[in-house]
Order: sequence, then C-alpha cells, then structure tokens
Amino acid sequence: MVDISTLSILLLLGMFLLLAIGMPLGFASATLAVGVLVLKFGPNVLYGNVVGGFEMMIDGELAAGVDTAFAKFGRGPLGVISQAVYRQMTNYILISVPLFIFMAAILERSGIAKDMYSSINVWLSRTRGGIAIVTSIMAVVMAAMSGIIGGEVVLLGLIALPQMLRLGYNQNLAIGTICASGSLGTMIPPSIVLIFYGLITETSIKALFTAAFLPGFILASSFILYIIIRTRLRPEDAPLPEPVEGDPEVGEKRILFLTFLTILVTGFFTLMLGRALFLTVIGSNTITEDVAPISWGMVADLPMLFGMTIAGLGLLWFVFKKHRVLQAWDMGKGLVAPIIVIGVVLGSIYGGITGITEAAGMGVVAVFLLSVLRGEMTFNVVWDSLMRTMKSTGTIIWVTIGAASLAAAYTLVGGPTYIANLIVGQNLPTMGIILAMMFVFLIMGMFMDWVGIVLLIMPVFLPIVLRLPVAELGFWGHIEPKYVGIWFGVVFCMNMQVSFLSPPFGPAAFYLKSVAPAHISLTDIFKGFMPFIALQLFSLAILLTWPNLVTVFL
Amino acid sequence: MNQQDSIWLGEIGRNIVRKVMWPSLYITIALVIWVTIGDMIFDLGVELRSPLNPSQNIHVMLTLIAGLISLFSASIYFSDFQGTIEIKPTGFIDVFSLIWSRVTMFGVAAIVVVMFYEVISRYLFDAPTLWANELSLWIAGFVFLLSGLYTMQQRSHIRIYIIYDMFPIWLQKASDIFTVILLWIFTISVFWGSYGEALDKFERMETFGTAWDPPLPATLKTGILIIIFMVAVQALSNLIADWHKVPEVHTPMDDIDQTEIDHIRESIKD
Repeated sequence: MVDISTLSILLLLGMFLLLAIGMPLGFASATLAVGVLVLKFGPNVLYGNVVGGFEMMIDGELAAGVDTAFAKFGRGPLGVISQAVYRQMTNYILISVPLFIFMAAILERSGIAKDMYSSINVWLSRTRGGIAIVTSIMAVVMAAMSGIIGGEVVLLGLIALPQMLRLGYNQNLAIGTICASGSLGTMIPPSIVLIFYGLITETSIKALFTAAFLPGFILASSFILYIIIRTRLRPEDAPLPEPVEGDPEVGEKRILFLTFLTILVTGFFTLMLGRALFLTVIGSNTITEDVAPISWGMVADLPMLFGMTIAGLGLLWFVFKKHRVLQAWDMGKGLVAPIIVIGVVLGSIYGGITGITEAAGMGVVAVFLLSVLRGEMTFNVVWDSLMRTMKSTGTIIWVTIGAASLAAAYTLVGGPTYIANLIVGQNLPTMGIILAMMFVFLIMGMFMDWVGIVLLIMPVFLPIVLRLPVAELGFWGHIEPKYVGIWFGVVFCMNMQVSFLSPPFGPAAFYLKSVAPAHISLTDIFKGFMPFIALQLFSLAILLTWPNLVTVFL
Repeated sequence: MNQQDSIWLGEIGRNIVRKVMWPSLYITIALVIWVTIGDMIFDLGVELRSPLNPSQNIHVMLTLIAGLISLFSASIYFSDFQGTIEIKPTGFIDVFSLIWSRVTMFGVAAIVVVMFYEVISRYLFDAPTLWANELSLWIAGFVFLLSGLYTMQQRSHIRIYIIYDMFPIWLQKASDIFTVILLWIFTISVFWGSYGEALDKFERMETFGTAWDPPLPATLKTGILIIIFMVAVQALSNLIADWHKVPEVHTPMDDIDQTEIDHIRESIKD
C-alpha cells in the first residue's frame, strides 16, 4: 500500500516517538511491527489474500499455509509476529543468556573474587602501579568467567578503589582502570553481546568468540601497557606500598611463582590422568571407526599422562622442595577457583566438548559447587540470584521478542534489502560507510542499551556491510568474504566498549559512582575515562585498518 | 526468611501451603526414586515417552501430579515473600504474576539440573539422553515468556526516560495511557494473526518431531498468545495502580540496585 521508502521513514519517526513517550523498547518495536504490516497490506492485513504468491521470507511452516486459509480471523499476515516470537523462544542458544546471568549472580555473592584479588596482588605488590595492573588482570579473568558487566565494576570498585586511594594513587588512573577493565566482560569470551549478535545475524557464536579473543586481548594489554608506561613516567601517580614483613624477595617470588605454575600443570595432568583411567575402566574410549578419538582420553595417552604427572610431582618434591610448595600454594590458591570456572566454561566451548548453552549450564554448576565448598552457599543466595536472573532475563528477552517481530515484519516488506540497495547504489567510499556506521553506533551507544542497538540496528546494517565490496574493507590485507559478518560483530563489540564509558550515560560510571567515596563526582569519573576511551578508539582503529586481526585464530 | 510478613496469604494460609508443599515434595522425590529404580527391578513399563502420555502409566502419572502440586505450592508459598530487589505487589493481578515468576525461577534451576544430567551422562558415561535438549527448550520457552510478565510487574522493562521526564504531568499520564493502548493493539493483532494457527496446533497437539517428541509447538504457540495477553493485563493493572504515584525523575542511577551492592559488600568482607 505504502511504498517502502515512505514506510521506512514512518518507521523511524514512529520509533523516535514511541521511545520519547517512554514506551518500553520491546513493546515499542512489537507495536511498530504491527504498524509496518498494516501500512504494507492496508485493510487486507485482517482478511487479505494479498500474500498469495508473495515470497514469504519467514522460513518453514508459515509458507505452507499461505494460499489456503487466509480469509478469516486467526490467520493472515499478522501471524508473522508470533512466528518470529516462536522462533526466538525455541532458540537453543538463547538459553545460555539466563544461565550466564545466573552464574554471574552467584559469582558476585561468593568470596571468589576477593580471594583472587589477594592472590594476584601477592605476586605484584612490589611492582610500580601494581594494584592497577592487578585490577586489569583480575578484570580479564572475571571477564573470562562470565560475560556480564556491572557487577564486575562494582566488585572492582569495592575491592581495588579503596586500596589505590589509600596508597595515594592518582584518582583518575584508579577510576579509569577499574571501569575500563571492568567493561571488558563483553569483549572477552564468553560475551553476552556477541551471543546476541550471533543470534540476530545467524553467525557462528563460537567463531565470534574465537575472533574476539585477540582484539580483546590487545585492548586489555593496551590498558596494562598504558598503566606501566604512565606510572614509570610519573611515579608519583602510583606510590609503592610499604614492604610487608615476611614478604619474599623479588627473586624468591619468581621461583615461588614457577612453583605455583608447576602445581597447576601437575594438577591438570593428574585430572586428565584420572579422566583417562576412568574412561578406560568403563571402556568408553575404545577405538571405533568414524568416531574421533577422545583427546587425551585414549588408552594410548595413558603413559604420556602418567609420565607428565610423575615428572611434575618429582619437580615439586625434589627441585622446589616442600616448604616452597606449601608457601606457593598458600600465595596462589585464590586463583584456583577462577581457573576451574574458566576451564569449565571456555574449556567446554573451545575444547569442542559442549555447545555454548551447556557450557553456561556447567558454569553455573561449577560456581555453585565452588561456593558450596567455600561454605558460602545458602538457599537465600540461590533464591536472590534466581530473582535477579529473572529480572534481567525479562528485560533482555522481551526486547528480543519485540525486535524479532519488527525485524520479521520489516524483512517481509523488503526493508533491509531496500536500504542496502539504496546505500550501496550511491557509490559512496566503502570505508566512509563503515565509519558512518561507527559514528551511529557511538552516538546511539551514548543513549541506548547495547541490546537495543544490536537487535534493532544490526538487521539493517549487516546486510549493507555484506554487500560492500570486500576488497575495500580495511586498509591493510583483505578479509575473506565469509569472515565479514564475524569481523563486523567484533567491531560492533568494540564500539560497545566505548559506549560503556562514554558520557553522559556510560553505565560503568554510574556503577562506580554507587560504590565510590562521596567526594568523587560523576564528572571526576568521566574525566578519568578519557585516556581509556582513547585506547578503546585506538583498538577500534586497528580493527578497522586490519580486519584480518579477527581471523588469526579462526 | 520465615520472619518476614506475609504479603497475601496471611499466617494461616501460609501454614496451609507449607503443609502441602513439604509432603508433596517428599512424595515427589520418593516417587521419582521409585519410578527410576523400581523400573529397573520390577519393570513398571516406564518408557521414554511415558511422561508425555501419563495416562498410560499410573506410576508416572502419580509422579507428575505430585511434582506439579509441589511446584505450584512452592511457587505460591514463595510468592508470599517479598524479595529484597522486588517492589511490593498491589493487587491480585500482581500476586498472580508473582506466582508465575516463582514457577519460572524454579524453571531456570531445572534447566541447569537437566543440562548437568545430560552432560554427565553424555560425556562421562557415553549415554546421551534423548530428552534433555527438548526438555530444556520446552522449559526455557515458558521461562522466557513468563519472565516478561514478571519484569512488567516489577516495572523494569527497558525504557528511555530522557524526554519523558521533561513532559508535564498530564502529558506523562497521556503517554502512559497511549502506551497501554498500543500494547493492547499489539496483543489483539497477534491474536488476530495467530489464533487460528495456535488453536489448530493445540487441537492436534502438534509435536516437535524428534525422538522424545514433546508437544512443544502446540503448547508454546498457545503459550505465546496467553502470556502476551497476561502481560497486557499486567500493563493495564500497572497503569491503574501507578495512577496516583508522584512522578519521579529518572536517572541512570535507578538501574543500580543498592541491595545488590550490599550483597557484594558482604561477600568481600573478611
């Protein structure tokens, strides 16, 4: 009825209007989905047979029933909406979202984070800028455990900020370190932003996680490098703490650290040995044709595992000596719990053992058991965590429901194709379009939650990006066409990093404000962010210049 | 937790529900053990699909009935307690939503348990189940839908308040009404477009087409319609309940919940 360009403009205006009057994002999108269908089909939307012959872009069941029974209540083009909702509700990967939230909620309530902080701090206490570096490392480890920010910034703000301020650290450095590192959760796998990007664009989430690893690592390293350089140039920004009585010398500390690593490696091999023995006993590792051998679980692996375990134990007993082993264990034991959680979650995903959803489920179990072992688990902890999980799940999933409806309706009327044609047809410079998109992300990131951006903007932006000439993407090296979607996801994630810090609504600032001493104002906090935002933009620039960065591990 | 005042059940009601909840839970556990172990020893005729056709097998049927009673009595019992992060319910619609929110909370825990069982049996004992994936999908579908009802009751759906807060009160109220009207238009449209299909699938009890073959499409398609309707009812109830509330200015600080921070503070204490 209405042509597609008018419809697109009306849709944009409608979205602005509905969001301005304070309609919840999910319901605004869902209502607009109805609006799009009404504008397209006119009054026929209620009865019409107009869809007959029209290529339904919603795959599967709907297409079959299109021609026959359309002229009555209870069917018709409006059925597209519940189809889209149904598809999201039966999406197995979406289950990982509440599970990751649940896991993060339990993790927050356990003392695991605090013990980890003490453990990392022990090794770096005599290094200049030590606590800031410890904060960054700890943030990376926590990011690798779960993919939720917010709680992370609060935790770091409660643990590290008082320490840094007491030691006389530069306030801006302390604030920036905590918030920038605390936001890394979305960049380092598992990341809930990438999960949603993968869902909405049907990109492999495992590939996205792998691709995001190196850029995330570069970003985190650039933070640490910045701290090291800054504190070397201006030692007054990070005074050293007084040496603690009985703290080992630097040389001895290195040996102790080696001892600790040996303990970890030996422990790992002992575990693998136990697993292989178990598999041998129950006989599930017999060699079968067409079945890939279980890595490090076959009978043939037993001698190697046995040898490694013995070698590790021998090294500990004869070279490092017992007293050192005990001391090293005492200093490092806070790291064991996080390593187990990361091992379970990332090990399951990358080891090819389970999918992302099972990995999240296993993460919940691991954190739960660790918490029980630490004697911190109560019914109230589980119940509160479940309540928080439901609340966050409801907000995120219902934006998904609304956005999925809108995307389905808009795709049905040919919207994304129209826009992609419009933009690509203009013969604009490729990188110019990409940069314009970055600008849109950064501006929208200032006002809107990442989940709204990924769900509403991506269905429009990604088709454009995929139609751009691949050879012109980036300035150095050519990315293979099949990786463009993955690259853009990582680029988007990097943009969202900036949005967590960018004034006026950067959520990290508000999380820190809620736990910072009263004299630190929001303006102070945002001021502390500036160098770190610059680092984020710098990493984004690297990613845009050299797209193949994401394919290194793929 | 027991000291907290009752929200709607009252002391007597709470006692009654508790007296249903615990025995039914014990009976469920006993029956589950009976059905799994008893089937190995006495051959009760429990098959993969028995839980989906409980009328065929009395043992399974009793287990399911006891399980449902304990699930719903526990949900009713816990809906009587106000969570630390929750706002107080103001009417029977709120209470209704809260009961369902408790069901979904147990649902999330159930998904974790099902997944754990599946991973253990698949990777440790090399005996993957045929039902775990579908069961988690089935539970999750309803968890997702009902979580929106809970979020609506708690007024925590994502909204952008920047412009809304600048409105005069009458315009804010007008916007609220307009929002609810639009939500109802959406609800009616969804019913208009999908009622026939959902009814059709429900009547045929359309199944998922897998080995275990649960009637997932039939129940979830119908569930989508019913729960969207419940959300719309809750939105209307919110509009009425909040009508005389003093308008508040929203800041991003609202998203941060103090209880959470207190809990975290607690957890890092020495």
